[in-house]
Amino acid sequence: MTTAVKAGAASTSDTPGPILRVESLTTSFRSGGAWHPAVRDVSFDLARHETLALVGESGCGKSMTALSIMGLVPKPAGRIAGGHIWFEGEDLTQLDDEAMRRIRGDRISMIFQEPMTSLNPVLTVGFQVAEALFYHRGMSGREADRMALDLLEQVKIPSARRRFADYPHQFSGGMRQRVMIAIALACRPQVLLADEPTTALDVTIQAEVLALLAELKTAYGMSMVFITHNLGVVAAIADRVAVMYAGEIVEIATVRELFRRPTHPYTELLMRSIPRVDRNIAELETIQGQVPSISAMPPGCRFAPRCPLREPRCEAAPPPLAGRSGHHVRCVVRAGA
Amino acid sequence: MIRYVVKRLLFAIPTLLAVLTIVFVIVRIVPGDPAQTILGDQASQEALENLRRRLGVDKPIAVQYIDFMQGALLGNWGESMVTGRPVLTEVWAVLPHTVDLTVAAILLGALIGVPLGTWSALHRNAPIDYATRIVSLLGLSFPAFVSGILLLLAFAIELRWFPVISAGKLDNPVDRVRNLVLPAINLGIIMAAYVTRVTRSSMLEVLGEDYIRTARAKGVPNRAVVWRHSLRNALIPVVTVVGLYLGILIGNSVLTEIVFNRPGLGKLIVSALNQRDYTMLQGLMVVYAFLIVVVNLVTDLTYGFIDPRVKHG
Amino acid sequence: MSRGAAIAAPRRGFVHALRELRRAFNTNITSWIGLGVFLAIVLFAVLAPVIAPFDPYEQHIIDRLKGPDATYWFGTDAFGRDILSRLLHGARYSLVIGSVATVSAMIIGSAIGIVSGYVGGRVDLAVMQVMDVLMSFPSLIMGLMIVAVLGPSMGNLIFAIALTAIAPFARIARAPTIVIKQRDFIEACRALGFSDLRIMVVHILPNVMAEILVLGTLWLATSIRVEASLSFIGLGLKPPIPSWGGMVREGFEVILDSAWLSIFPSLAILLIIFALNMLGDGLRDAVDPKLRGGE
Repeated sequence: MTTAVKAGAASTSDTPGPILRVESLTTSFRSGGAWHPAVRDVSFDLARHETLALVGESGCGKSMTALSIMGLVPKPAGRIAGGHIWFEGEDLTQLDDEAMRRIRGDRISMIFQEPMTSLNPVLTVGFQVAEALFYHRGMSGREADRMALDLLEQVKIPSARRRFADYPHQFSGGMRQRVMIAIALACRPQVLLADEPTTALDVTIQAEVLALLAELKTAYGMSMVFITHNLGVVAAIADRVAVMYAGEIVEIATVRELFRRPTHPYTELLMRSIPRVDRNIAELETIQGQVPSISAMPPGCRFAPRCPLREPRCEAAPPPLAGRSGHHVRCVVRAGA
Repeated sequence: MIRYVVKRLLFAIPTLLAVLTIVFVIVRIVPGDPAQTILGDQASQEALENLRRRLGVDKPIAVQYIDFMQGALLGNWGESMVTGRPVLTEVWAVLPHTVDLTVAAILLGALIGVPLGTWSALHRNAPIDYATRIVSLLGLSFPAFVSGILLLLAFAIELRWFPVISAGKLDNPVDRVRNLVLPAINLGIIMAAYVTRVTRSSMLEVLGEDYIRTARAKGVPNRAVVWRHSLRNALIPVVTVVGLYLGILIGNSVLTEIVFNRPGLGKLIVSALNQRDYTMLQGLMVVYAFLIVVVNLVTDLTYGFIDPRVKHG
Repeated sequence: MSRGAAIAAPRRGFVHALRELRRAFNTNITSWIGLGVFLAIVLFAVLAPVIAPFDPYEQHIIDRLKGPDATYWFGTDAFGRDILSRLLHGARYSLVIGSVATVSAMIIGSAIGIVSGYVGGRVDLAVMQVMDVLMSFPSLIMGLMIVAVLGPSMGNLIFAIALTAIAPFARIARAPTIVIKQRDFIEACRALGFSDLRIMVVHILPNVMAEILVLGTLWLATSIRVEASLSFIGLGLKPPIPSWGGMVREGFEVILDSAWLSIFPSLAILLIIFALNMLGDGLRDAVDPKLRGGE
């Protein structure tokens, strides 16, 4: 694991040290009187100006990883059970609520999947954008409003000035997601966590919002963790990819490397299930079986029950995440090969 | 906003007509012969005829209906058979008492219920939450005359803090307030119980919404998450319940006025009942019909102020 | 256990609906307390002639207005009648009026709701508008108007209270009916030639039973409250019948000297309503956390 961390840091960063380092993060949920890890032993580095994609099926722990970084794991059902999240020399897991609040929305921001329900229906859009400036920058109402208007223009809301005092229900889904982006960018965060920001949108709108995100990321000099289940989007936006399965990272590599040599059997199957224009829908491969439930994880490799390459040793012990030159895989069969 | 208000006002008209129609059915059709009801079995044929003519119930039912609706809508609500004064005058005379009581009770109910319900929701499943839930359930189990009698016994009869008969003079502010306190508390705590329960459950729902997570994600402090982001959304169903409660409050104010011997609409209706003042009773039912419609209208308008989606929709 | 989930599969009739309720029940302590207290009151009411120490109408002229003591546990009233005995017998009137009114409203209201929802279209629209207007009348005011016009009698009281409770039952029965109506198995029943009546009784009714029973519990509390309130106003059963509300009214006239006369029946009314509310509230939480109503 430590090798993975070092290798990741060296790959694309141009300044010393990653901006964000997640180290053996475990986030657990209580169910039936016992704690079960929804995120287990997750480690990765996010270099400055880098976009890291977290990919996996829904429920694989990718959103929970982001919420853990934000300190927004729903209490009291969930908690960070172990590991560290290093951000600019501070361990976020050790900060108290108030210190964490001061970082949220200021230096680390997050965009959510559901633009239709993620904005407050009784507050004006302008206020919702200006609010972060108010709390983090101590701006006066007028200053914050001016800046919020500027942000709405940057995310390309048409006639933003006129729409400033409108309510979310007066906006379309794509426009609402732009507002969400404006909210997230208000304080010029160093890290942006984008949790499936385009999944709920129409395909044409998706492309626009993705382009906007990429553009703003460069303009603001941010680092981004982009969460998606869509490998097509990954290719378009990310520098590196971490594939997650059942709460664990099973493979991490640069986009180029991963697409060229998908190594973990799960990654391979994911790749083959990307719909492509040159292939018939009927040929789409679906992965047999189901993700094991959080309270009934297999003792060995978590993917073993569904894995075509399964061997007896896979089920003996959890495989380590291992590899070299930035490409790490959690598979004893493939890693050894 | 103005368009919304106008629209609600227009919608209130058919409701008013419907409610008045029900009142007509109750006072004119259900009892059979009102003259007989008023004068009793021993009345002479002549007396019955006279009374029927005076009440206008000798005409065909359709004509009666039109007369009734016309009178009701034009504010011509008839006159008391006992005092001979118009119902409107009688109502006008006691209205300030009723308004005092109602407004005070609503304020009290909201000022206790909303914070208590919010607090309870924020401490979900803690002992304080259980206590709040049980106490509020007890609160809304009180018939208004039971709570009134207990308050009267404790604070007016035993402790003598407040007058036993709450018929204060309106032009003396101190007197007016002293006479208002117990009746207002009586109505207010029952309402507070309703408001507490609804605020709690609605707040719990809102706290789980995506937009609350968004607010936390931008670093909004807890206090503002609760008061600015959650409460206004949580209040939308609370308004519905307060609207429903206003109906119950109209009923409960009758009981409260009896217990505290306080002038008001309820006392009017009870004395009309005791004196078999049929025309007064009928007029007061029309008054209640108007009240019901006004209450519904106020509830609708309040939605418009709280929820921007209603205003623009 | 959302409403959607509850409707997801056709159930196997009343037994299933009751089983559902029982399951909901076991999870809630307050439900149990409420049920226990309520059943105790019912038991006292049934056994009133046996366990009451005195005849509720018997006047002990020398023992007028006596405070609670060893002979008259709850004291006596202005005619020297034993308050405890009158309370025990009075429970019967509260329970009978409350439950007959509630059950009638439950049957009529649910029938209106199910038929209206099942038929749909303009009929449904018209029926529901009438229900909305009826619902905007507060139950006490409605009861007061009707009893004032018709005169106080047991039948009129029941009629008045039942009338105010029909609309809520109609609403609660209609909503799920509309959802179920569109489901495949109802279509299949029609194709098999089942009559509409049979579909409504056999397939729709069991699906709305749990909610109707919960609302019934809460309305029983409301009915008892309205009955007591009307009796307190003087529109209840005629004296010397020992109705609880009437007893409070009689006691209220001498409250300055003999407070117990109004306190004991007041507490009895409060107790039964609180018990029913605990029961209904617990059931409601369990059957459907989102179900609202009860007034």
